[in-house]
Amino acid sequence: MSSTAATATIDTAAPAAQSPSRLAWRRLRRDRAALVSAGFLIALVLAVFAGAPLLGKLVGHGPNDLFPYAVGISLKPVGPWSTVPDTSLVPGIDEKTFTQTPPPAGTGTTLLVLGADGPLGRDELQRLLYGGRVSLTVAVGATLLALLIGTTLGTLAAFFGGWVDSVVSRFTDLVMAFPVLLLAIVLGSTVSGKVSEVTLGGALNKGVLSLILLIGLFTWFYPARIARSLILSLRRREFVEAAEMIGASDAKIMRTHLFPHVIPALAVWATLAVATNIMLEAGITFLGFGIKLPTTSWGSMLAATWGTVLSPLPYNASSFSPWLTIIPSAAIFFTVLSLTLLGEGLREAFDPRGVR
Amino acid sequence: MITFGYALRRLGASVLMLLVLTLLTFALYRAIPANPAGFLVDLSPGAPHSPAAIAKAEKTLGVDRPIWEQYALYLWRLAHGDLGIAFQGTRAVPLSNQRTGQAVGPAVVHAAMVTGSVVVGGALFALLLSVPLGAVAASRPRSLTDRTILVVSLIGICTHPLVVALLLQQFPGRRWGLVPPGNYCPFFGTSQPGPFDFSTLTRAASCGGPTAWASHLILPWITFALFFLAIYTRLVRVRMIEVMDEPFIRTAAAKGASRSRVVRHHALRNALGPVLTLVGMDVGLALGIALYIESVYRLPGLGLTTLGALSGGAGYDLPMILGVVLVIGVVIVTVNFAIDLAVLWMDPRAAQAGARRSVVGRIA
Repeated sequence: MSSTAATATIDTAAPAAQSPSRLAWRRLRRDRAALVSAGFLIALVLAVFAGAPLLGKLVGHGPNDLFPYAVGISLKPVGPWSTVPDTSLVPGIDEKTFTQTPPPAGTGTTLLVLGADGPLGRDELQRLLYGGRVSLTVAVGATLLALLIGTTLGTLAAFFGGWVDSVVSRFTDLVMAFPVLLLAIVLGSTVSGKVSEVTLGGALNKGVLSLILLIGLFTWFYPARIARSLILSLRRREFVEAAEMIGASDAKIMRTHLFPHVIPALAVWATLAVATNIMLEAGITFLGFGIKLPTTSWGSMLAATWGTVLSPLPYNASSFSPWLTIIPSAAIFFTVLSLTLLGEGLREAFDPRGVR
Repeated sequence: MITFGYALRRLGASVLMLLVLTLLTFALYRAIPANPAGFLVDLSPGAPHSPAAIAKAEKTLGVDRPIWEQYALYLWRLAHGDLGIAFQGTRAVPLSNQRTGQAVGPAVVHAAMVTGSVVVGGALFALLLSVPLGAVAASRPRSLTDRTILVVSLIGICTHPLVVALLLQQFPGRRWGLVPPGNYCPFFGTSQPGPFDFSTLTRAASCGGPTAWASHLILPWITFALFFLAIYTRLVRVRMIEVMDEPFIRTAAAKGASRSRVVRHHALRNALGPVLTLVGMDVGLALGIALYIESVYRLPGLGLTTLGALSGGAGYDLPMILGVVLVIGVVIVTVNFAIDLAVLWMDPRAAQAGARRSVVGRIA
């Protein structure tokens, strides 16, 4: 009787035990910037994967449909929220008034929410959504690939040391000093020709897989370094020795005793890496070595009014349409900003020195 | 102290790194399917070409030998300061197995000057502004000034350099006509007039001289500086906050040094060492950003040279790409060595602590 009463008092006196992940979650819930960012990212993923086909049903056309009537006589595309004749006929030009002839009678109209995407007159919003799908797939896929390679090699290097460690570290130093963008472009232009045809049964767009491989191949050093340094610091701790003493295998120790300690740091890295990879994808595609048209991505949308490296488009004041640059720019900016804020929120939430 | 032995070891490691880089470039070249003979003979289907002509072209280019022999020959010539002749635009000298064309060495040096103008100018802007901004932000953590600087630099970090470049080119450059929207004007001498542009019926005029050079580089410098300004303001701020907590700062304040003296002479000197080391590690990143800038503003630097060498009709222009890779490798090695010396000069304790290493991974 008395012993149970004593236990009860001790239980109430002791602070409620919290696992580190629970603690991190509680801290994250208080970080308003990170929460808003997470909300934005969820909305973005929904819009890009589910919203894009829905929008197509709603307005009745797809991202590759051409609307020549959405392009003015000076090749200036219509701006946001315009209704244009729903026809792929090219308008004739009335020579007296120098205006476009009206579309044939009975042609319906269709809504271009963010206007047309350039001289071809495609739906800018739909291209933005489908392009976002490509950009996000590349960024997330490359991050996962880098995590897989990097964590494995980093863990092995730290656990076994010796030549594995020095080879991984030296190679990492070499490539990290070099401009990854340049290497990715050199490699991408030479060997990724065959890979870019692979679509995994239509699940991916053309060129997505080769970009994932390319970016993953040049970014796995970062998770490798993170895993290596953390595991090196834990390698000789008592709990690892205890596990070794009771006969746990190396694989078991790495998996169940060491790996959980690496997860928070890797989660933070991965969030920030998706942001970096979105920028990298946009850059590679912008320069003409990534996703090929007609598949769109945010990088190719950025190049809409600029052209290509070998044939830049001339500037023409009468068809100047800055929103074609601003719309994909804003999409990249807000996505990268949300990922960065979420990543910093995660870092603070996982910080063991943080408030409880 | 930097000893002779240390410098020698370092030199050895650098040479080894450059060898590995050239080896990797050769390996890539071997992996591509395109036949370099296409640089001399039209290999497109339907074009008249005989196996004999292709064999002769391969012999002229020197690609008929085994790959290791080509590599050894390349190293031999390199040791004599000869970077070879570019494949692109090369012509066979009649009745011999020689060819003429653009020499890679001068071309690469010229391109490096262009990239150097962008990077050095932009980096100076970025460092000269980020150090005072970071110091101001750190002097009152969590104040309104500090928060403003942090938010603005966050926006800078999250903005793609391409976006900055495109918007600057479209508005101040073209729409408002305030500054030249592109092209490069050399500091010394004048440039060749550009190729005829059929869409505008004009060609870029030849230009040159310090004023034209600087005015054409204003937008590239701003683009470059904005990106690094954002990163380095944050770095300087964090380092300054750390250093301002150190006992020697309290000592300096206690002995009666003014606040500005404490910040400038005691704190900054100690805060900037690690920041400089990071500058060295960011050379690769800087060259990546320069690639975006060169493409948008059409500056014939290392990046645009590489893109040209990759996207020519017949594919991979090996000598040119090797030249660019070598120049970049040498620059990275030299800059990092110079920075290590500068750090030692600023903070002699670094010699004992060994080179500080940390990783800041962003784009490129």
